[in-house]
Formats: sequence, structure tokens, C-alpha cells
Amino acid sequence: MPESRRDFMLRVARAAGVAPLAMGLLEGRAQAGPASAGTDLEILFAALTLEHHAIALYEFGLRRALFPAALRDYAVEFRGDHLGHRDTQVAIAEERGGRPPVALAHYDFDPTPAGPAFVRQALEIELAAQRAYSALISGIGTRDYLLSAAFILVDEVRHITVWRRVLGLKIY
Amino acid sequence: MADYASAADVFAAIAGLESEVDARLGAVGRGRADVSAFAASVAAARARQRHQRDGLRRRLHVAEAAAAPAGPVEAAADLARLRAAQQALVHAHAEGLPALGDARAVDTLARHLVELAAQLTVIDLWLTAAEAGA
Repeated sequence: MPESRRDFMLRVARAAGVAPLAMGLLEGRAQAGPASAGTDLEILFAALTLEHHAIALYEFGLRRALFPAALRDYAVEFRGDHLGHRDTQVAIAEERGGRPPVALAHYDFDPTPAGPAFVRQALEIELAAQRAYSALISGIGTRDYLLSAAFILVDEVRHITVWRRVLGLKIY
Repeated sequence: MADYASAADVFAAIAGLESEVDARLGAVGRGRADVSAFAASVAAARARQRHQRDGLRRRLHVAEAAAAPAGPVEAAADLARLRAAQQALVHAHAEGLPALGDARAVDTLARHLVELAAQLTVIDLWLTAAEAGA
């Protein structure tokens, strides 16, 4: 049976190392209680974990020249966006006294060949991030983080739409 | 960056910007046959999003918005201006989220934001292609 979108997003979130409480929110096992600084930090940490995962994937692909040469500029741009998302969210977390998660020492990416297959892997990570942000955004309680998450979501959608077009998938 | 004071302000801004995008998209579409499928997709999403905002308006006890100001009557077929209008619509959704004060409304408008951001990227890709071909 094909994996559902939700199952896929949860699998990527688990692989990225999203903490149990945020996983509970993503799985629908836990409710985001009344908006609070604690809930915001849980969401921030989950989002950061996914950003680390995305950065690692783009770096892996760029280092090994797995993106088609004509698409390298997009890959560099999108990696830069994810680095920006990471830095913004680290700053927000630290401002609130949180200790943001760091990147894993090692990520296990599928041994995907170069070219469209690797672009598809990048698309899948972007989709997981977009779905996670979409699922978590209504639990955010503070204005600055809500705004930041909304604009990050816009970037994720841009990445998804570009990769979908490159792969010849429907974009509207 | 806009600082909306209430859900009513957000909904009013969105309605006005939708009107501008629709006028500009109509103008661009008159000059390009390849735009019609995109325009139909935008129109379908627009109708659904308006219906869902009507539901939110009732939920949040926000009065019916005044009729949206008419878009430019003779919008030029200008892709760059269409892009600017679509970007303003995307930003109104993003910047409006904190003013909603309701988790379900945030969830709904965030989903609309995702659709609108994808539309913005399509317009961006057209613009990039047009500039490359110029």
C-alpha cells in the first residue's frame, strides 16, 4: 500500500530526530494546549530539527554533485534559505531561554543516484517540512514566531513548486 | 510589514488584494493562451478560499466585509505587476495570522497561504522565463 502523505511526513520527522512531544503534536496524539512559551519552544525545536535535516541533504547533494548541473543554483539558493530558517529559529529559541537542538552527527540518506532521483529526494524533504509547518503553525502563540513560521512556509512552498516543475509534476 | 489589528482588517485586506490579482491575471491571460489553465485553477482556489473565509467570519463574529474595491479597470498585461500583487496577497495572509487570535482560523489561512505561495512561484517562473527570453 502506498505511504500516505501523513505517514511520509511522520517518517521524515522521526528520521530527522523530532522530539517526542512535537511528534505527538504531528501524529495528533497530543493537543497543542493553550498557546504558551513551552508549546512554542517544542514547535521551534521540531522545526529546527527538520531544517538541520534539509540542510544536511542539500549539502550531501551539492558535495557529491547529485543535483543536475543546470539545477545547482536552485539547490544552493534553497540550502541558503534553510540556513536562514535555522539561524532565525535558533535566535528565537535562544531569546526565550531555550537550548535549540543541534544537527545530528550523521544523517542516513537513501543511496540515490544523481539527477532527477536526487531532486525527488529533496522534494520529499521539502514536502515533509511544509506539512510539518502547516500542522504545527496553529499551535504557535507568539507574534514574532508565528510571522517567522509563515514566511518560512512560503519559502518551503517555493522550493516544492520549483522541484515539482523540474520533475514534470503538476504545479497548478 | 503590515500590522493588522483584527481579523476584520485581515479579511478586508485580502479581499482587496484578491481583486487586484484577479484583474491583473485577467489582463495577462488575454495576451497568453497558456495562462488559461492556471487562471482556472486560481479561480477555483479563490472560490473555495472565500467560502472558507466566510465560515471563519461567522465563527469569529466578524461582520461581512464591504464590497472589495474594484481592481484596476484596465490593468495592463504586466507579469511583473501581477507578481507584485500576488506577493502582496501572500504577505497579507502571512502578516495577518497573528491578528486572527483563533487557532482554527490560523490553520485555515495558513493552508490558503500555501496555495497562494505556490501560485506566486508559478508566476515567478513565468517571469524568469520571460526575462531569459527577452
